[in-house]
Amino acid sequence: MPNQVPEFIYRRPSRRELLRSAGGGFGFVALSGMLGEAALKAAVNENAAGPLSPKSPHFPAKAKRIIFLFMEGAISSLDTFEYKAELQKNGGRSGPGGGTLAASKFQFKQYGQSGSWFSELMPNIAGHADELCWLRGLYTDTPAHPQAVVQLHTGSANAALTRPSMGAWLLYGLGTENQDLPGYVTINPPPNEGGAVNYGNAFLPAEFQGTRISDQGFMPNLKAASATTLQRRQLDMIQAMNRDFAAKSGAPDPVEGIIQSYELGFRMQGKVPELLDISKEPQTVLDAYGVKPGPEGSFARQCLMARRLSEAGVRFVEICQGGWDHHTGLHEGLINRCSLVDKCTSALLTDLKQRGLLDETLVIFGSEFGRLPMSQGPDGRDHNITGYPMFLTGAGVKPGFSYGSTDELGVKAVEGRMHNNDFHATLLALMGLDHLRLTYQYAGRPFRLTNVAGEVHKAIFA
Amino acid sequence: MDLTNRNASRGVFLGALWCSLAANSALLMGAPSATPQQIEFFEKRIRPIFVSHCYACHSASTKPAGQLRVDERYGLINGGESGPAIVPGDPAKSLILARIQNSDPKHRMPKDSEPLAASEIADLTTWIQDGAAWTPEQVPATALQKGAYYERLRAKLWSLQPLADPPVPKVALASWPARGRSGDIDRFILARLEEKKLTPVADADRLTLIRRVTYDLTGLPPTPSEVEAFLKDKSTDAYPRLVDRLLQSSAFGERWGRHWLDVARYAESTGPSRNIPYPHAWKYRDYVIDAVNRDVPFNRFIQEQVAGDLLPASSPDDRDRLLIATGFLAIGPKDVNQRFKERFLMDNVDEQIDTVSRSVLAMTVSCARCHDHKFDPIPASDYYALAGIFSSTDDAAGVRSKMGGAGLEYYDPDMLIKLTSHVVEAPADQVAQAKAAVAAAHKEWEVVKDTAEGQALEPDGKSKAAHYRDRYEKAQIDLLAVDDLGTRGFAVHGVRESAQVGDTAIRIRGEAERLGPVVPRGFLTAIHVPDAPAIAPEHSGRLELAQWLTSEKNPLTPRVIVNRVWEHMFSAGIVSTVDNFGSTGDKPMHPELLDYLARSFVREGWSVKALVREIALSRVYRLGSKSGPQQVAADPANHLLWRHAPRRLDAEEIRDSMLATSGQLQPKPAEGSAARTLRMIEMADNGEEARTIIEAADHASSRSVYLPLLRGVTPKSLEAFDPVGQSLVTGQRESTTVPTQALYLLNSAFVRKQSLALANRLLNEHVPEARAIGDAYTLTLNRAPSAAEVAHAEKFLGQYEELYRATPPSSKPPATVTPVVNTAPVAPKRDLAGQATDEERLGKPVVEEIVEPAGPKEAAWMSFVQALYGSAEFRFVR
Repeated sequence: MPNQVPEFIYRRPSRRELLRSAGGGFGFVALSGMLGEAALKAAVNENAAGPLSPKSPHFPAKAKRIIFLFMEGAISSLDTFEYKAELQKNGGRSGPGGGTLAASKFQFKQYGQSGSWFSELMPNIAGHADELCWLRGLYTDTPAHPQAVVQLHTGSANAALTRPSMGAWLLYGLGTENQDLPGYVTINPPPNEGGAVNYGNAFLPAEFQGTRISDQGFMPNLKAASATTLQRRQLDMIQAMNRDFAAKSGAPDPVEGIIQSYELGFRMQGKVPELLDISKEPQTVLDAYGVKPGPEGSFARQCLMARRLSEAGVRFVEICQGGWDHHTGLHEGLINRCSLVDKCTSALLTDLKQRGLLDETLVIFGSEFGRLPMSQGPDGRDHNITGYPMFLTGAGVKPGFSYGSTDELGVKAVEGRMHNNDFHATLLALMGLDHLRLTYQYAGRPFRLTNVAGEVHKAIFA
Repeated sequence: MDLTNRNASRGVFLGALWCSLAANSALLMGAPSATPQQIEFFEKRIRPIFVSHCYACHSASTKPAGQLRVDERYGLINGGESGPAIVPGDPAKSLILARIQNSDPKHRMPKDSEPLAASEIADLTTWIQDGAAWTPEQVPATALQKGAYYERLRAKLWSLQPLADPPVPKVALASWPARGRSGDIDRFILARLEEKKLTPVADADRLTLIRRVTYDLTGLPPTPSEVEAFLKDKSTDAYPRLVDRLLQSSAFGERWGRHWLDVARYAESTGPSRNIPYPHAWKYRDYVIDAVNRDVPFNRFIQEQVAGDLLPASSPDDRDRLLIATGFLAIGPKDVNQRFKERFLMDNVDEQIDTVSRSVLAMTVSCARCHDHKFDPIPASDYYALAGIFSSTDDAAGVRSKMGGAGLEYYDPDMLIKLTSHVVEAPADQVAQAKAAVAAAHKEWEVVKDTAEGQALEPDGKSKAAHYRDRYEKAQIDLLAVDDLGTRGFAVHGVRESAQVGDTAIRIRGEAERLGPVVPRGFLTAIHVPDAPAIAPEHSGRLELAQWLTSEKNPLTPRVIVNRVWEHMFSAGIVSTVDNFGSTGDKPMHPELLDYLARSFVREGWSVKALVREIALSRVYRLGSKSGPQQVAADPANHLLWRHAPRRLDAEEIRDSMLATSGQLQPKPAEGSAARTLRMIEMADNGEEARTIIEAADHASSRSVYLPLLRGVTPKSLEAFDPVGQSLVTGQRESTTVPTQALYLLNSAFVRKQSLALANRLLNEHVPEARAIGDAYTLTLNRAPSAAEVAHAEKFLGQYEELYRATPPSSKPPATVTPVVNTAPVAPKRDLAGQATDEERLGKPVVEEIVEPAGPKEAAWMSFVQALYGSAEFRFVR
């Protein structure tokens, strides 16, 4: 080996290193002569905008932004969105694989031209029947909340190797439209069930992590510590020092990025609180969403914040309503939970539509898994990972459409079967990304949101 | 038996085995020698019983009640909480038959259903009597015909070749290399530069040098008096003496121990999915810092962490030290909510294999869990040879797995390692009293739990039974506090030999319950270590593994650690992918230098301090960071080291530097960790316990290495600057630039507190303004300001003071804020015993600390200091 000629794999020099190599220091002038004006501009713009600048998708995107309404705990679809005549007929009889079938106690009705069934618990969402695109053949791997929630968000439940969340992958693949805002916001995420993993960047660079905001609109360190004039004065001082430092020979590359990130942070202090302040919305809008203080109004506030953030160009917004884990107290529990989400979800869809945003925004509503048709105790249902629904609506998907189904009792997906990995592959495709090509090299191999699986279900595409 | 041969031949043996499998296209696994008739009987008569009566509760797609699975043969044999469900050939001992025939419907299976038909019971009995045949696993015909392919890979992969003994090259510029042994490093570097007709840039000035070497060796800035002394010291050995002083300081261990803790994915809790604290993990942290400070030879350091419990000890204290060292294997992330115990076991084994192989060998062995490694010559049989070692080892982290458990259910006190010295007897009377209280509380709960009265909800939204359960749990916790060794601090997370030691089976596609052929315990066949010891049958093999890892003949171990040290001195390794020396990793930029260093490292007794010293004294380490046009043109990324690349301080250094310069740093090591008082009970990442930890971290003034580091609960003062991930071996930190860093530096209470402290310190000196400005620069940036900078600062201070007078601080009440969730002290969210309430989920608001100066002058100085802390220059070392 000592005499062997070593084979180099060069790291790619940074753009700044190239600029320097061409002209030395801030050698823009020299470089412009060599590359031509246009090429220089492109080079500098890309450098200036950084990793979050909008990137071209792999193929034309059907949707630009996503709003994910996460029903943490697993909503019972057989009491809300899935009418199963066989189940209603056979309540009290033995179920497949053991247990006793429990018919839903709620009344179902068909809505719209599509004739989709909804129970009396979701009268407002039912009004959007002809806009929704149902995935009714979903399934996942683990019937426990922590793993299933983490898998829904990151594509894998492996505790030892946390993966980037889907929002992080989207930012990595697409960047974001509004450079003055975080590109990925999660409001009121679950404190358990993987916690920060569900909006983390894992091994992707930190630029791509989700920004966590409370349902009161709080984000750490966002509130300016001193009056704007004072802070601007201080920032000018910092930036003067930074520019001096950047001008020194051999200054570290990231200094220019630091200078820009200060300006962005300073702008965010002004813009983000303004954006999250829903109190200035007209009363009609507040009423439509049902905004009120306290926990009962939490999801309504989140829906309205989500609309504002999405409208401002945030690539991925997730909002969360927990408390769906009805092993007991199913009846009362569902009445209560549905009352928290039905009206405001409907208001969000209407609002997006009226503003023309639904053409660019994909809305997703669903849980980490479903619940069984068999009863658990006198008034409960246990977890079901073998077949459950979610709905999508808005950009890129067929309206008034139902894809896939579970068996006649609602136990297992039999048609249009869509594994969690397929679901992710399909979402990425709607956003213009090929899940096979959206990879990141880490620990010696390329990683994907979809691991080594995933199939795009184009049947739902508009 | 000579293990070397055994090991070397295993690949061949298995290759042959697989070939014959391929020829057969199907191999019987797990249930040897089942006849086609037996298989048919199973498929027609037995599997349908399981599918239609049992799968709803006992299969892969359901929560396996009682942890029992009936959809795999191994699941039945391994059994659930009550023990093995079947004993092949012995119906009388097969629990499943007893349960399906139980006369009490409450305890009979299938639950809440009609009993099985007599014919079904008879079939099951016959099947068990007949050996419980199961349809064999199909092994894909394409699998594992890799002998020749792997041999080619092995021959090609640079890192698997023995260490070379390269001659030190001759250089033209003979006066450039440093004197002494460090000069050889310079000759290797310079020879390559000369090949490219390049010259190194000028040396760093002495000010830059002392700042650089002090940060690199201790993670702290030099004090102004240290700088002054060094600048004044004109003796020829001033620099070597500086390096020696730094190597001797306890701060060296705090800095370089932290480097190892990154690699050891150190953390004080299990992480997702149920986050259970490791309250004794800090003892392992302290062990690492101490070992680095004492310069325990690196080979010994690895042996202690992999097999400390099996090494001879010189005293009871030494025994405890060695037991604590094995925490390395135990403190990984664990999924305690895992529903299958075999999977829990094999996941943890996998985590240990991954950690050991990537930290010590920089090889990604884990790929071979599911299939033969695609890029590196690591067959699945090698993986399971290692797995046998770890499955013969008790992973005594103190936790057990349980799906949907709550409270103390995840804590297994017997699965901790008991310390041997200084153990204080539990006071008998208190123990008796606490036991009685537990019994009483348990009885109360039992009485009420299944009654209608017990299920009734109380005003707080919890059932009456849940309240009794909480009380019962509280009593159990009180008992633990008086009689449990772990809770009392006399036990640690670590490992020990299992009661049952033996080889394990290959798992088909990595699925824990699908057994392939058993492989003998052993090591990686691709790494040829001629003097590797044989694993004694009664050993787990960890001791032998430790010896194999640290053998002088192992080509990877010395290369990997030498490269890690190099990376910490130059910000980039000789091999840039410091945790990956496999085919997908990068090749060494200076391969001869790497081998030269590895050889001398081993020869000099594996001393990390000696290696750091050797590198620090080299000329190449002392280069300036200025740019040179000719060099930039030829090697823009500085691969050939014509200059010293600047690096950003890491999260710990940024926090420690602020504390050190503001005068707030607690110089002594912290005692223990804020996490030591936590119980091994699930913790919501924003609940009461997490909040206590975060607040403790906020107020701590010890070095960052001592901050509590629970997975998912990152101290706020580290969060902004790419803190280590804690879930995988991490040899290199990220260094991103994001606006949250700007917001942290502008608005956080921590930065403002340090700024105010330093501002007050400067004002209290009562010196002329220009002098105080100079002191601020000297403290924070280790340099004097230029005249222009002083003028600029004076102008800033004057203007700011005036502006501040005109805009007095709004005397708003402290901003109420935010999230914080789940405050139930001992009963976080449970699967069956009731969900968290919305109040718990949303949590109590927390108050962000407001830091306000006393008046305009203080405000101006505070703002100025904060600007220095916020400057890019502060966070870079050149």
